[in-house]
Amino acid sequence: MTTIAIIILAAFAVALAALIAVDIVKAKRANVQYHLKQCIAGYLMMAPAIALAFVFVLLPILFSLGYAFTDYHMYYPNDIHFVGVSNFTELFTEISNKGELWFAIKNTALFVVLVVPLQIGLALLLALFTNRKKRGVKVFKVCFFAPVVISLTVTSFLWLQILAPNESGLLNSFLGMFGVGPIDFLRDKETAMLWIVLLSAWQGCGYQMLIFSSGLTNIRNDLYEAASLDGARGWDKFVNITVPGLKSTLLYIMITVFVGACRVMIQPMLMTGYELHTVTLSYYMYQMGYGSKLIGLSSAVALMMTIVIGAITLVQRKVLK
Amino acid sequence: MTDIDNTAVLTDETTTADAAPAPAAEEYTKAKIPVAKKKVALDTAWYIAGIVLSLIFIMPILYMLAVSTKSQIAADRATGIALFLPDFANLGTFFDNYAKVFTDYGIWRNALNSLMYAAIAIVLNIIVNGLAGYVLSKFDFPGKKFFTAIIIFLIIVPVETSIIPLYTIVTEMLHLNGPMRVAGVILPAVISIFNIFLFMQFFESIPKDYEEAARIDGAGNLKIFFKVILPLSKPIVATVAVFCFIGVWNDYLWPMMLLTGYQDLMPIQAVLQTIQNIDGVTTGEIMASLVVTSIPIFIIYIAAQKYIVQGFGSAGLKI
Repeated sequence: MTTIAIIILAAFAVALAALIAVDIVKAKRANVQYHLKQCIAGYLMMAPAIALAFVFVLLPILFSLGYAFTDYHMYYPNDIHFVGVSNFTELFTEISNKGELWFAIKNTALFVVLVVPLQIGLALLLALFTNRKKRGVKVFKVCFFAPVVISLTVTSFLWLQILAPNESGLLNSFLGMFGVGPIDFLRDKETAMLWIVLLSAWQGCGYQMLIFSSGLTNIRNDLYEAASLDGARGWDKFVNITVPGLKSTLLYIMITVFVGACRVMIQPMLMTGYELHTVTLSYYMYQMGYGSKLIGLSSAVALMMTIVIGAITLVQRKVLK
Repeated sequence: MTDIDNTAVLTDETTTADAAPAPAAEEYTKAKIPVAKKKVALDTAWYIAGIVLSLIFIMPILYMLAVSTKSQIAADRATGIALFLPDFANLGTFFDNYAKVFTDYGIWRNALNSLMYAAIAIVLNIIVNGLAGYVLSKFDFPGKKFFTAIIIFLIIVPVETSIIPLYTIVTEMLHLNGPMRVAGVILPAVISIFNIFLFMQFFESIPKDYEEAARIDGAGNLKIFFKVILPLSKPIVATVAVFCFIGVWNDYLWPMMLLTGYQDLMPIQAVLQTIQNIDGVTTGEIMASLVVTSIPIFIIYIAAQKYIVQGFGSAGLKI
C-alpha cells in the first residue's frame, strides 16, 4: 500500500517536473524571468497543503479506483490480488438476485425521487413566502432555518423519539387520542423510508431557502415593476421573471441536493440500523467496507455510484444550462 | 401606502372644494378603499400562514427543549400543548437531566474534545489553505497551471465518499493508533480544496500595492501573509472558520469509525449514540444531550450570520 502510494507520488512528481520544464522553456522563449527565490518560497508555502491534499484527498480517490478491481480484505492488507471485474459481476448478480444491493438501490432511488422535489419545492416556497419587506419576516426565516442548525445526528435521534413505537412517542401519543394503537413507524416496510424523506426535507430545506432568498434579492426590482405596468399577473411574473432569474441558483441547488440525497446514510443508520427496507447505497457501501471488511467490493460500489451520480449531474447541467 | 394615497386624495378634494367636486377624484377614493381592505386581509392571511408554517417547523425542536426539562413521569403524563412546554411546574428539577448528562454521562469531556478538535482544525485550515491560496493567487512560478487544474478538477467532479479508503490510509498506511487517531480525525478536516479556491479568489482582489509596500519595508513572505494579507481578508477568514467549525462539530461518521473504543477521545456527536444505549436512560436525558450538542452551532449561527450568508454567496462559485 505504501509502495503504491510512493509510485503514485513519483508519477505526480514526474508530471509536475515535466510541466515545470515546459513552463521554464516557454518563459525563456517569451523572455520572462522567474524569481528563483520566490519560486522556492512559493513551493515551500504550498507544501503543507500539497502534502495533506495528496494523502487525504487524492490518494483516497485513486485507491478507491484501484481497490475496486482487487480482493482487498481489511484484515489482510498484505495479501491483495488483482481480480479484474469480478467485484462488479458479483454486484450485478446481487442486483439480479434481488439481494441487499437491490434493496439499497431501490431505497436510495425512492429517497432521491421524493426528497429532491420535496426539499427544493419547500425551499422555494419558503423563500418566496419570506421574500417581502414586512415586520416579522425575519422571525419566520429563523424558524424555517432552525432545523438546519441541528446536525443530522441530532435530527435522527430527535425523530427517533418522536416516532417511538410506544405511547411516549410524540406521534403515537397524538394518534392515541383518536384511539389509534401505537404504530412502529420505522419498522413498517412501507412507511419507514417516507418518514426519513420527510425529516430529511424538514432538516435541510431551510438551507436552500436562504440560497433561494439571496437569488431572489438579486433579481432586479424594475423588471417586476415593468411587468406590472404591462399588466402582468403574479403567475406570469413568476414564470417569466422569477424562474429565469433563479436559473443558476436552481441549477446549483438541484445538483447539491441531488448529490447529497444520493449519499444519504446517517438517518437510516441511526434510526433503523442495517435493515432491508431502509438500507441505502452509501450505507451498503459502508457496511461492506467497515462492517464486512470487504474493501474491494465496497470500492466497486463507490465507483459505480461516482459514475452514475456524475453522469446524472452532467445531464442536469446540460439540460438546465 | 394606500392610507397615504387616500389622505392625499382627501386633501386634494378639500382644496378644490370651491369648485364642483371633481368626479374623477371621487371615483378614485371609492376604488381605493376596497383595495386597502383586500390588502389588510392578504396581510393577515400571510401572517397566519407564516405562524402556522413556523410552528410546524419548530414543533420538533420545541418538543426537544420541553422534554429535556422533564422527568420521565412528567414527560409521559404531558398531553396537548403541555407536550411542547417546558416543565415550569417543577422548577426544582428543571435542569436535572442536564446535570445528569454532564456529570454522570460526562458529556462535558466530549464537548471539550469537539471544541478542541474544531479549534485546531480551524487554525490549521486557515493557515494551510490560506498559504496555498496566497501562493496560487500572487506568485508566479513554473507548474502553477498544474495545481490550478487539479483544484478545478477536484471541485467539479462529484467524487463518491472515499471514507473507506481514507480509513485504510489512516490505519494501514499512516499507522495512526491509540490516541494518535485524534490526528486522523482532525487532519482530513484541515485540508479543503474548496477553501483554497475561496482564498485564491479573495486574495486576487487585494491590490499588489499593499504587498509591495510591506516588501519594501523588508517583510518576508510569511510576514506579509500573516500581517498584511490575512488582516485584509477578515470576511473570508471568518467564513472559512465558521464553516470549518460547523463541519468538525457536526461530523459523526468519521470520528466514530476512528475512535470506536476510545470513549474519552470521542467528539460529542459520536458519544450521543453511546448515551442512547445506556441502561435506564430517560427520554429527558437523551433530549438534554441533544440540546447540549446543538447549542454551540446555534450560537455560531446567530453570532456569524453575516459570514454564513457570505458563504452562501461563495457557494455559488462552486458550479
